[in-house]
Amino acid sequence: MGPAVSRTSQNLLVTLLGGAVLWVSLFTTSYLNYVKPGFRWFLVAAGVVLVVLGVVGILRDRAGHAPRVAWLLTLPVFAILLIAPPPLGSDAASRSAPRPAVPVTAYKPLNTGLTAMSVGEFVGRAWDGKGSLTGRQVALTGFVVPGRKGAWYVARMQMNCCAADAFALKVLVRGVKAPPRDTWVEVTGTWIPPKTGGLPKGTVPPELAATTLRRLTKPDETYE
Amino acid sequence: MTATRLPRGPGADAEDLYPPDSWGRRTGSGRARVLWGFGLLVAGLVAGRVWLAPAIDWPALQTWATVFVAICVQALPFLVFGVALSAAITAFVPASFWARALPKNPAAAVPVAGVAGAVLPGCECASVPVAGGLMARGVAPAAALTFLLAAPAINPIVLVATAVAFPGQPMMVLARFAASLTVAVLAGWVWARFGRARWLRVPSRHGAETGWEAFRQAMLHDLLHAGGFLVVGGLAAATLNVVVPRAWLDTVAGVPWLAVLVLALLAVILSICSEADAFVAASLASFSPTAKLAFLVVGPMVDLKLIALQVGTFGRAFALRFVPLTFCLAVAVAVLTGWALL
Repeated sequence: MGPAVSRTSQNLLVTLLGGAVLWVSLFTTSYLNYVKPGFRWFLVAAGVVLVVLGVVGILRDRAGHAPRVAWLLTLPVFAILLIAPPPLGSDAASRSAPRPAVPVTAYKPLNTGLTAMSVGEFVGRAWDGKGSLTGRQVALTGFVVPGRKGAWYVARMQMNCCAADAFALKVLVRGVKAPPRDTWVEVTGTWIPPKTGGLPKGTVPPELAATTLRRLTKPDETYE
Repeated sequence: MTATRLPRGPGADAEDLYPPDSWGRRTGSGRARVLWGFGLLVAGLVAGRVWLAPAIDWPALQTWATVFVAICVQALPFLVFGVALSAAITAFVPASFWARALPKNPAAAVPVAGVAGAVLPGCECASVPVAGGLMARGVAPAAALTFLLAAPAINPIVLVATAVAFPGQPMMVLARFAASLTVAVLAGWVWARFGRARWLRVPSRHGAETGWEAFRQAMLHDLLHAGGFLVVGGLAAATLNVVVPRAWLDTVAGVPWLAVLVLALLAVILSICSEADAFVAASLASFSPTAKLAFLVVGPMVDLKLIALQVGTFGRAFALRFVPLTFCLAVAVAVLTGWALL
C-alpha cells in the first residue's frame, strides 16, 4: 500500500511540525509553558522555515526516502496538541530538591510598607544572612504545593533556558489553611527567621507567617 | 588532504532504518490518499486539542510531557539553524574553499577547527549537522569532529552565560574554555591517529550538487535524520529528568571523586543546552568547583540527545566509539584543569 508515501509524507511531516511550532509560538502563548519569553521570535522563524520547506517540497515532490526514525517527529506534535502540557506546577515542584536561589549580588533596601516581591527574591534575602526581611510585610505570588502534615508552600518554578532545567523556589506558609494544590495565590505576611542556625544554608525553604490570602487566576507567564 | 571523502562503510546499520524501496514509487492516487490522510490527521489533532487535552489530568504525565515538549521546542530552532547552515555549506561553499582554509595535514587542521568552533553561536544540536556538512564537503573527519565538540562549549554566548552564572569567579569561565578546547583537540587527534574510515558514515549528498534545489534537499534530508533522533534523546532525557530524584545528589557531594563522576553523568542525563547549563551548575551549591567544571565540560559534548543525534548522523558504529572516548577525555581534562585552576 501507499506508493509515494515516502516523499510526500516527509514533506507533510515537516509542514505539520512547522505548523505545531507556529501554533505554540505565534497563534497561542503556550510557548511560555516551555521556554523563555524572548525565545518566541526564534521559534516563529523556525516554524516559518519548516512550513516553507514542507510546502515547497510538496509542490516539487521528487522520489526519495527518509529513515523510519523521522516518524518520531510526530511525537512532539501529538504531545503539544493531545496532552497540551501545562507549565510545570506542584508535581514538578515537589520532585525538585530545594535549591538556593540564583546568586544576586545585592538587594535594594526594603520600604517599611507592604512590598510585593518574587519568591526567588524572598528566598535569596532569607538566606543571604543580612536579615533584610526582618519585620517587613511582603506579598508573594505563586502556586500551592502541599507539604507534609497539612503544611503547604507557595512556590514558583525558575527557568534559565527551558522547562527541562527549571527548579522550584518554595516558601513554607504558616498560619493560613492550605488552598487546593496548584491554586494561584497571593499571600502576605512576614518572614519567620530560623530558630536554629544549624540548618545548612539554602537547602531548607524559608518560612512565612501569613496574614492574608488572595486567590488569583493563573498568569500566562508562570515561571520566574 | 589525506581523507577528503571517505568511502561509505558497509552501512548495515544505516540501511535497515530505511523503509522498503517500494515506498518510494509514486502514483497519483497514492499521493491523493496521503494528502487525505494528512487532512484527517490534522482534523483529529484539532478535535483532540478541543476534547481530549482538557480531560487529561494526571500530574506526572503532564510534567513529563512538559519537559519533553520543552526539550524539543528549545532544541528545534537550533536544529533548523544548524541544518540550514550545513545545507548552505553543501550547496553554496565550494569544496576548494575548505582545502584552502584548513591545513592539509589533519593533525594540523584539528586545532584550527577547534578555535573555529568559537564563532558558531548555538547549542550542540546545531553543531552535529554542521559537522556532517563539513565532512560531506571534504573536510577531514577529525577536524570536523573537533569543531563539533568545540562549537557548543566555547562560543561567546556560552562563555558570557557562564560568567553571569558564576559572578566573581572568572576562573570558572577560563577553566571551561581551556578544558573544553583541550578535550575537543585531543579527541580530534585521537580520531585522526586511531579512527577508521569504516566506523564513520559520512553524510552523503544525493541529487543536485549545488544551488537552491541542493540546499532544499540537503536540509530536508538532514532535518528528518537528525530530527527523529533528537526526539529519541528528548524522550530519554525527559523520562530520566522526571524519574531520577534530585535529593540523593547532595548525599554524594561530599565524596570528591564520586561528586565529579555523578555530575558528569548528570550532565549526560539532563541534556540541557549549553547556553543554560552554567546556571544549573551554579545552583548545585554543595558540589566542589571541579565537579561543576566536569558538568560544564561534559554537558555540551556528551548528552542523551547529542548521542542520539550522532547515531542518526554518523551511524551507530561511530557513536559507540566516539561517545566513550569523549566522555573519558572530558572527565579527565576537567579534573586536571580544576586541580590546576580552581
